[in-house]
This record gives sequence, C-alpha cells and structure tokens, in this order.
Amino acid sequence: MVDRVILVCTIVVAAVYFYATTLIPSLEIGDPLGPKAFPRLIGVALLIAAAMLALEMWKERGQAAAKGAGGAPFDPAVLKVLAVVAIWIGIYYAALEGLGYIVATSAFLFPLMAWFNRGKWLANALSAVVFAAMTYWLFVALEVRLPRGVLPF
Amino acid sequence: METLTHIMNGFGVALQPVNLWYTFLGCFLGTIIGVLPGIGPSATIALLIPVTYGMNPTSALIMMAGIFYGARYGGSTTAILINTPGEASSVMTAIDGYQMAKNGRAGAALAISAISSFIAGTIGVIGLTLFAVPLTAMALKFGPAEYFTLMFFAMTAVSSLAGKSPAKAMISTILGLMIATIGIDLQSGQPRFTMGVPELQDGIGFVIAVVGLFAIGEVFATMEEMTKGTRPEIIKLKGRIWLTRDEWNRSVKPILRGSVVGFVIGVLPGAGGTIASIMAYVWEKRVSKHPGQFGKGAVEGVAGPEAANNADTAGAMVPLLTLGIPGGGSTAVMLGAFIMYGIQPGPLLFQNRPDLVWGLVDSMYIGNLMLLILNIPLIGLFVRLLYIPGGILMPLILAISTIGIYAINGNPVELVFGLLFGVAGYVFRKVDIPLAPLILSLVLGGIMEQSFRQAMTISGGNPKVFVGSPICVTLVALSIVSIFLPVILKRIEAMGARAKENG
Repeated sequence: MVDRVILVCTIVVAAVYFYATTLIPSLEIGDPLGPKAFPRLIGVALLIAAAMLALEMWKERGQAAAKGAGGAPFDPAVLKVLAVVAIWIGIYYAALEGLGYIVATSAFLFPLMAWFNRGKWLANALSAVVFAAMTYWLFVALEVRLPRGVLPF
Repeated sequence: METLTHIMNGFGVALQPVNLWYTFLGCFLGTIIGVLPGIGPSATIALLIPVTYGMNPTSALIMMAGIFYGARYGGSTTAILINTPGEASSVMTAIDGYQMAKNGRAGAALAISAISSFIAGTIGVIGLTLFAVPLTAMALKFGPAEYFTLMFFAMTAVSSLAGKSPAKAMISTILGLMIATIGIDLQSGQPRFTMGVPELQDGIGFVIAVVGLFAIGEVFATMEEMTKGTRPEIIKLKGRIWLTRDEWNRSVKPILRGSVVGFVIGVLPGAGGTIASIMAYVWEKRVSKHPGQFGKGAVEGVAGPEAANNADTAGAMVPLLTLGIPGGGSTAVMLGAFIMYGIQPGPLLFQNRPDLVWGLVDSMYIGNLMLLILNIPLIGLFVRLLYIPGGILMPLILAISTIGIYAINGNPVELVFGLLFGVAGYVFRKVDIPLAPLILSLVLGGIMEQSFRQAMTISGGNPKVFVGSPICVTLVALSIVSIFLPVILKRIEAMGARAKENG
C-alpha cells in the first residue's frame, strides 16, 4: 500500500517537474544545451526509477500479501501529536525575529518539554531558559547573528 | 620528496596552538553530539557548521574533520549502551557490544571501541597519506566528461547500496538532483523552478536540507517513539573503562583486519561504514576459534567492526580530497562545508593549497590521538548525556537546528524550508526511502550539471564523449556493475544476519 502511494507520488512529481521545465525561459546563446536539457534528463530518470519501483513491487507481490495489513507505518494518534509539534515549530519561526532568540526559544521549548517530559516543571523551565540564554551568548561570541528582539541585551 | 616536505609542513600547520585547539574542540563536540541517540555524523556536521562561521578555512575544516570522526566514534557509545546505533555503520557494534554491556563488561566494550578507533583511524590516515598523491596525479587528467561519469558512478553506487530497495534509493537520488536544479542557472542566468519565491533564487542550501532531513526528521521520529513509549533502556556503566589482558590479546588481530577492510571499502563510493563493519564482523566470526560466542558478547565482534567503521572514515576522505567527489552522505556534507568556505577539494587543491590539505590530513593523526586520550577518562561524562530525558533533549535539538539554519542568511523563510525537509525526512524514514543518496546528489547536482554541459559543449553535443576515454569507459562500466551490486550485497547481508542468528 505504502509503495503504491510512493509510486503515484513519484509519477506526479515527475509530471509536475516536466511541466515546470517548460516554463524555464531560455535564450540559447553559446550554450547548445540550454538550461532545460539537464532537468529533462532528470525527469526521465525519475520515471525510470518509478518503473523500477513498480518492478520491485511486482516481484514482491506474494510477500506483501503474506505480510497482510499488519504494517501501516503511520499511527493517527502519533500523527496528531507530530502535526501539533510541526505547527508549534512554525509559530516559533514566525515569532523568532519579533520576540528575539532568547524569549522566543524559551517560550518554544517550555511547552514542548512540559508535554514530552511531564511533571518535571522545574527541570523543564530551567533547561528551557538556561539553554536559550547560553546558546545566545555562545553564538554571539562566535560572531553568529541571532535576533535580539525585545530584550535590551 | 616534495610531498614529504608538504606532509611535514602540514604538521607545522596542524600543530599550531589554534589548530590544536580546534582539533580538540571538533573531536569533543563531535563526540558529544554523536553520542546523542539518533543524531548521526551528517546531522552533527551540519548542526555544528555555524560554530565555524567566524574562522579561517583551514581551522574550520580541521574542526569539521574532528567533528566528523568524533561523531563516528560517539555513535558507538550509543550502540553499546542502548543498543540503538546512531547510524547504520554501528549496527554490528551493537550486536556484541550491547551483550558485553549486559554481561557487566560495558567498560571493556567502550575501551576496546576507543582503542580500535584510534588504531584503525591512524592506519586509515596513513593510507590516506599514501594514496592521496598518486590519486591526485590521476585526477589531474580528468576533464568534464570524466568528472560527470565519476559522479554518475558515485550516485549509482550509493543508490544501489543504501537502504533495502534500490528503486527507492534511486528516487531519493533523483529528488536530490531535482532540488539541486532549483535556483538561477549559472550558465544562462535563467531562474529555474523558483516559483517566484526570492529565497529560492540562490537555490536551497545544503545545510537547510541536511539539518531538516537528518536532525528535525530524527526529532519527529524520536517523538513518535516517546509518544508510543517504545524508547529503549540504557545500561548503566559500572566499573573501570579498561580491558583485561586476555580481551586485548583477542582484539589485536581483529583491529588490524578491520582497519584494512574499512579503509578499502571507505575509498570506494557507496554505503561505506555499514558494509565495512558487516564484512569485518563476518570475517571475524569466520576466523574465530569460538564462533559460538559471537552475539553473546565476543570482544572480537566489537573490535573488528569498530576498527572497520573508523578506518572507513579516513578512507572516505580519499576520494573527497583527491577528486572532490564524496562517496556517501556524511562526506557529501563535508564537501558542502568545504564549498561554503570557498574551497573546492580536488587535485588542484593539492597543488595550490598544500598547507591546507596536509594541515587537514595531519590534524587527523593528532585528532585520533586526542579522541583516545579524551575518551578513556571522559567517557563517563559523555555517557551522562544519554541520561538526559528525551523530552528535554529533542526540543533542544530543534532549537539547535533553528540556529544552524538561521545563522546562514538570517532568513526565517529558510527556517520554513528546513521544517518542510524535516517533515519529509520523517516520512521518508517511515516508508524506507534512504536519505543519504538525496544529500549526496543535492551537493553534487550543481557540479554534475556543469560537467555535463561543459562536456557536451566541448564535444559539440555528441554524447559519445561520455565513453570517449579509457577513464570514462571504466567509470561507466563500474556504474553498471554497481547497479547489479544489490544482488551480491544481499548475500553479504544474509551472511551478517546468519552470523547474528547463529550467534
């Protein structure tokens, strides 16, 4: 089942990629191949890979049936948690420059730790704040620019 | 003779106090992050790239190399103590290492891992020193067609050796090439696949892809395990980190054999460390007088694969430095780091910057020694990292990933790209699409297209140019052979599995 989805996705990606290749503006001066040739070649290679996958699936069709329906890789309950984490990361990225690294990172880390490391309030709070502050100063000392945001230092 | 002078001058560079410090720092940080479960060398190097932003290229690369082998070494600690290798190449170490730990010999397993890493690493660097010069001489004869076929070979080798399904590995390789075509085409100046997003004009930086796929993706996978409650148990470290005379006597030959296997496999492109350590394990079991002990805590089963794994690290540097072509995922990340510092590894680098190349190679001798000195007394400290609850560690890795990506251009849009790669990395893991081929082709894609177009321009559009020289023909032939390698490899893996079962 999973492999079938991968196969369909691969073919869709190849189709979209081919279409996008036609949109590349090209003025073929001094370069006989132009900017489109190599992408076209890759697109063909992806279709070959899809064909290989189909062949592999065909070869293993007996084994897949024997395995039965036991192997759904994604668990909806887990996916819900991960989706929330991903959205939370997105919010963190959106707030990073406005709030500054230290504030945004502490505020990002604490709820995540509270969820995945339940009950250890003090350890979680300390880890979140100390980590954010220490990495900020460490990277500033290394001349890496991080957003300062609302804090005066 | 001239080379000898360069090698000696290289020690002069490597022994400068500032470079000694960066070697130390690289080994130290590499080991620390490598110990963290699930974070392999590729992610470690990518995460630590921002640390080197303010440095001169020589020091930065010396530190990167330290991070690379430090991370390889750190992965074994995880394999021995929690039976979850940080990367595929430590899988064989986990078999007997974890059993030794369960039998109360965790200290000995860690010690033999440190000692065999040192010996194998040193043998590997000697090999690198010896092979580099003849290979660069050959590489100077390479034109665009030769480079194209060489990269083609590297990609077919990695596709056929990574993961369970060659088709999925090939899909991964081609996705990497596709991502590499995003951005302004250097030869014609035309934007390609940018969808009007200005951040895509310069293409997608490899750090974003690596941090997303390896670090953020791994965090998602670990959070899944935590949600399901399937995290493995850690074995407490008791007693001295040392081994008995008998254990040492049993380990010497496996270390030497593992070093040779590891180096040779490391030089060839492909899955590198994994194959090398499986072969070393199988070899040891074959020649052992008591094969029944394997799988129950045989010290040879740790010494051999560990040596192979570390000699492979040095071996993998050979094609990277001499040809500028990495043979796998983590060396591809190293190449990306080189390019970020404006340095193109390859034969010309040996001519133009002998100080840099030999300083780097010689620093690896020193780094291996440092790792040994560092690890025997400090291993207790590193092991503590394993006790940090995953619920604290995973969010921290997300924050470090954020710094890693943001520090490149200070652009939040690139953070979003990183997150998308993270989601993709998680999904790919779940559906068995290997990630290393994607990284390799993403890093090589740009150079590969350039060589392709240059070769075609030189030949006036005749594709025969790719079989126009003996080197090209050999490389094309090797590529075809490597496509059929999975069949041979399945046998080797079956041997490894049998070794594990019969144990």
